[in-house]
Amino acid sequence: MLNVQAITKLYGDRLILDDISFSIQAGEIVGLVGENGAGKSTMLQLLATLSNPTKGNIFLDDLSYQKHKKNIRKQIGFVPQDIALWEEFTVEENMVFFEKLSWKNKTKQQLKQLCLDMELDKWQEPVNTLSGGMKRKLNLAISLIHDPKVLLLDEPTVGIDLKSRKEIGNYLKRQALEYNKIIVYTSHDMDEIITLCDRILCIGEDPFYKNILNETEKNIITF
Amino acid sequence: MKSIIQTRLIHWKKQWLSLLFWLIFPIIASLLIINVTSLIQEDSKIPVGFVLEENTPMAEALLESVKDSPLIRVFEVTENQARDMIERHELDSAFIIKDGYEQQIHRGNRNKLITSYKSDLSFAYTPVSEMVVSYVQEDAGKAKAAHTVMHLAETLKTSEAVTFDEIISLSEEIQSREDLLRTTFSFNHGPSNGNDADITIWNVWGLWAIFSILSTLLLFDWVIKERNSSLVSRFSFIRFSYKSYLLQNLIFYTAVLLFVDSTAALVFHLHVGETINFRLVGAIISFRFICSMAAFLLALLFKNVYLFYGVSFAITLFLAINSGAVLPIEGLTGRFEWLEYLNPLHPFLHQEIWNSWLIILILILGIWFAKGGKLNA
Ligand SMILES: Nc1ncnc2c1ncn2[C@@H]1O[C@H](COP(=O)(O)OP(=O)(O)O)[C@@H](O)[C@H]1O
Ligand SMILES: [Mg+2]
Repeated sequence: MLNVQAITKLYGDRLILDDISFSIQAGEIVGLVGENGAGKSTMLQLLATLSNPTKGNIFLDDLSYQKHKKNIRKQIGFVPQDIALWEEFTVEENMVFFEKLSWKNKTKQQLKQLCLDMELDKWQEPVNTLSGGMKRKLNLAISLIHDPKVLLLDEPTVGIDLKSRKEIGNYLKRQALEYNKIIVYTSHDMDEIITLCDRILCIGEDPFYKNILNETEKNIITF
Repeated sequence: MKSIIQTRLIHWKKQWLSLLFWLIFPIIASLLIINVTSLIQEDSKIPVGFVLEENTPMAEALLESVKDSPLIRVFEVTENQARDMIERHELDSAFIIKDGYEQQIHRGNRNKLITSYKSDLSFAYTPVSEMVVSYVQEDAGKAKAAHTVMHLAETLKTSEAVTFDEIISLSEEIQSREDLLRTTFSFNHGPSNGNDADITIWNVWGLWAIFSILSTLLLFDWVIKERNSSLVSRFSFIRFSYKSYLLQNLIFYTAVLLFVDSTAALVFHLHVGETINFRLVGAIISFRFICSMAAFLLALLFKNVYLFYGVSFAITLFLAINSGAVLPIEGLTGRFEWLEYLNPLHPFLHQEIWNSWLIILILILGIWFAKGGKLNA
């Protein structure tokens, strides 16, 4: 269980997140919505241990983020908003590169299977020849090499075709259902969020998102 | 470390051509320059013909002395060949060491020992003939001294009879002993006297060091490229801390470069006759550590890789001019002695293994690694 307790985040004098608390159970997919600049990426960075809250603390299964940063990182798969791949490497080389540096050892076959699970079948091709959808899939696959318990995805489906979008969505759903993973992700696609997520967190002041969300039966948390 | 090497090899597979180029660039470039300049030097020497009519040690010693002169290229020819070549202006002048040269010298006779020809365009006849005459004078002088000593011995009727040869060889021994005292040890060319050092301003290790600095700087652009990329966040979720990842790569690069450096020592040994000894090996290792650490730490300061390239070329140029490894600018370094100490080439060319550069860089690297920085967040 991921437990966020009274988080506040300031950038200089600017208040980005103000006293936010929530918790997420294993097997849950939670969507993070809000207007641009609302603080979605900031929230994911905090959950990923990549930045520290100004106030408050976060716990993963009773492990404190403040005290056990290293152990917590081993359980987190973070998919950055920008595509973070070696562009001139092939899919295989990208996977092998990060497997070598990873906490977990995997065979090439296992790595290939990981890609195939999300319909990424271009194993030998250089990244810079791949479609946007393929790149997004690889971006996700690399973050999963060490079998993290928590998956944090920052706009994993932005700017890609509908088919890839569905394939990534289905994959995430399976991860939550079959492997009991905690998944938090942000998106601008409200339809996608509504169909995929068990709960939705709405950050920011903009009433637009809250109004759309009010029309669904999803469990919505607003701040 | 094994996995760091494996990941680095994936990178190198993609850039093997430029990697290979910059690795061997210092060896190739310095050899090329050395060869070209020695060709030019050879071309600008004055061609002088020598005819040896007798093969006595003294005549041959004279020829060797002339050959040693850095400004003259000696052609051993017959008298007829010499005349032909002078007519065709292939020789500036020619000198014939007459039969009986040694004998005449022993007798103390200095006249008509050597005949000479010069071309009508000769511009070096006078200095060359002066030089030849001075060598002959030297031989004649020794002979005269020997005769004087023997004459004295005879008149004083000492019991110890001294032969002519003994006196000559003793005087040569004394001369060479005095020469030894004046011998300056040169890193690059074995024993040579001061005059020679001035003439060969191009020395292979000096050039190699300059080119190595440039290539090392350029090879470390990976530090900037990898830190700039959107991939940095991924390095928070690996087994190593990001700093440890960088440091292990630095170690691997240094090891590979050390291997290439030993290749350089071997190549220079085989092609230019440079000697390999423990001090040289120590100096190379120390120089390699300095270059790698400096390039690494410098690259950490940059965000823009092209700016880094520009600065790398500027630094190399500055060091090349400042060091005297390329241009003799003793005037400048003489006036500003601290310039020499700022120059990382200085300890290498003087074969100082432990020097302030090495120690300061190790300290800075240690501080960088120890302090918990933003990089590690
Ligand atoms: N490192 C930072 N320093 C200062 N301000 C930042 C930093 N990162 C983000 N911000 C600001 O915080 C706000 C929230 O940004 P972000 O979390 O990226 O929003 P979102 O992902 O919801 O679009 C933005 O106004 C942004 O300018
Ligand atoms: Mg964002």
